[in-house]
Amino acid sequence: MKRTSALMMLWFAVVAPRASAEDRLNVVTTIETLADLSQRVGGDKVAVQSLSHGYQDPHYVEAKPSLTIALNRADVLVRVGLDLEIGWLPVLVTESRNGRIQPGQIGDIETSTFIEVLDIPTTQVTRAMGDIHPRGNPHFWIPPVNALRIAKGIMERFQQLRPGDKDYFQAQFDKFLADLKSKATHWDAEAKPLAGLKVVTYHKSWTYVSKWLKLQEVSYVEIKPGIPPSPDHLLRLISLMKAEKVSAVLMEDYYNRSIAEEVASRTGAKLVPMPSDVGARPEIKTYFDLVDTVLGNLTRVIR
Amino acid sequence: MRLLMKTAALVSLAPWTVPALAEQTPATGASPQGTEPSLSEQLDAAAGKPVPPSGVPPGTAPQVASRGFFQSLNPDISVIATGAVGFSQRAPLLLSGDDPDLKGSLTEPAAGITLQELEVAFQSIVDPYFRADVFLTIPNLSGLEIEEAFLTTTSLPEIQIKAGIFRSAFGRQNGMHLHVQDFVQRPLINAAYLGFDGLRPPGVQVSWLLPLPFFVQLIGEVFSVPLPDTSAPSGTFQPLPSFGGGKRTDLTYAGELKFFVPPSESLSILGGLNFATGLSPGLTSGATTSYAGARTLLYGADLYFKYKPPNQAVTYFSLAWTTEYFVRTIGSTATDNGFTDGGIYTQLVMQFARRWFLGLRQDLLGIPSSELQPRISRTTLDLTFYPSEFSKLRGSVGYEVPDSQAARIQELALPHVNSFAAYLQFEVAIGAHGAHKF
Repeated sequence: MKRTSALMMLWFAVVAPRASAEDRLNVVTTIETLADLSQRVGGDKVAVQSLSHGYQDPHYVEAKPSLTIALNRADVLVRVGLDLEIGWLPVLVTESRNGRIQPGQIGDIETSTFIEVLDIPTTQVTRAMGDIHPRGNPHFWIPPVNALRIAKGIMERFQQLRPGDKDYFQAQFDKFLADLKSKATHWDAEAKPLAGLKVVTYHKSWTYVSKWLKLQEVSYVEIKPGIPPSPDHLLRLISLMKAEKVSAVLMEDYYNRSIAEEVASRTGAKLVPMPSDVGARPEIKTYFDLVDTVLGNLTRVIR
Repeated sequence: MRLLMKTAALVSLAPWTVPALAEQTPATGASPQGTEPSLSEQLDAAAGKPVPPSGVPPGTAPQVASRGFFQSLNPDISVIATGAVGFSQRAPLLLSGDDPDLKGSLTEPAAGITLQELEVAFQSIVDPYFRADVFLTIPNLSGLEIEEAFLTTTSLPEIQIKAGIFRSAFGRQNGMHLHVQDFVQRPLINAAYLGFDGLRPPGVQVSWLLPLPFFVQLIGEVFSVPLPDTSAPSGTFQPLPSFGGGKRTDLTYAGELKFFVPPSESLSILGGLNFATGLSPGLTSGATTSYAGARTLLYGADLYFKYKPPNQAVTYFSLAWTTEYFVRTIGSTATDNGFTDGGIYTQLVMQFARRWFLGLRQDLLGIPSSELQPRISRTTLDLTFYPSEFSKLRGSVGYEVPDSQAARIQELALPHVNSFAAYLQFEVAIGAHGAHKF
């Protein structure tokens, strides 16, 4: 049809030059940790903005129209994936009218494809289990090996988008690797005494951290995500925690603490509010701050 | 707006994972020290750097490639069922298509159970340029209808085109499906001015996101509104339809301006200015039809104000206030003189606990009133409980007060001029349903 081809012409005339003409890559991320990692890899060749803040529950960010403005101008969207952002991101991406970041385009980076996904259900999933993630656990960005894999994936995509800056992005990545390695011995030393620590977590969202630090997850407070725990479950949990001598209840800063506080106080376990993202607290400005705080909070439990 | 029926999930957790973990734990806890590669070595391996041959045991390199994902390429399919049990002293004067219809009359009380709506949705990306959304509906067991079926462009710069059958962006409530409504019934102005089913005819929409640092959207729409059924059963109240009259070449045009301002992270203000024009098919009363082919000019303004702190650890409290005002001018015809009438509603919805919402709405039609649109007031109080994101129980009481002196009310000879109604609504959603706009 004649009209369609005219439309196509418009497409190529307006979109194509725009995408390559701008100097710095406009990077929009869904969470602040991904913003920090993108900035480290992109250096001064990128301008980075996060759609949510670390003190927000990333499942329940409001799809405010102001966020479409950022997405409209993005060259790259860096997201967690595994349906973490499904409640708010797809509608914003559609509304953004931005062909560069639509699912499957080169500007759409789903970071879960760079890591080894845990908690992939091996049996039929139903919503009787609560509001679960059927494709695996998306809370994977805290362990350093995962952060590095994410950074590597982002770097490789930046290199595809800006072949002229290939070496620059590689050098930035190498610097991040060196920074991580300079902390590695210290983190190893902090992690060692934590191995075997018995914990209960609010949701099953600390799997990756537990695997890294060899924490022993005994059970969960809100066992069916999105559905407040039943009194039956809480009674069972309390007796289980007493029998297992659980030392700590870990929960993200952004959840309401009342139930977890009650459980902790009845079992003698410590309630440990944990930051789960850069920006969760004012003092957590970088990925390194995040890991330091997570390790520091856990170390205080065993002291 | 609460993103009610999204497929969002919280964290991967199933009851069966717990015993499994408990069994695994001794093994992981007791892994022998010394054979484990250091973090530094693991980092080198993950970065693809050469590592000492003894350093990293096989299997610690990224195993990303080995992970499969079940592919279906089917569209996301979901079904939303909304049932209602109700009692009313008489039928409501104005009914929207997806309001609970107890099949009562204006002269008798009615009580009953109805399937208020069954919605079936199919949603998918078509290709790199389009996405498609199809929503089929069966309101009040009346037969299968297309609620919406449209294509949306995803890659045009700044501009987005929507084509098919879709809910017009006129006002705030018209664009929403039943299951994202905060009350059991739609506001009265929707049925009075946008028609029984709302404004959702076949059409084309072009929207433009203005290149500004804040959100301003300009929308233009053109519709072929089908002729509404104007043969009113005797003894019911019929509003004058705004659109759908004239010849087949007479199209209905609409334009909207929407803006969004976030004064703070907790506070959001979304507003709209709306305009639509078309020809009225007229109102048939007995053997005479008045205002057939009269030019309708419909103006609207809406304001949505929401307070919701972003951090639930502080509070679950949220407050949303919505107000919409419509005013309509009907042009003169050879036999009838033109007039102006309008209506408003304002509603406040408060979340006072994690799963509980309380809503109060005041509807007022006939501001200003006209011969055809007398003053009608309706006050509604709703209490909603969400057992989970995918189910909802809602109780509602409402009191409708029409102007008993108005000629159109008097001719109905209502035994109960003022009417009390109560509903209990239950809704479930299954399948993967796309997220909703703010």
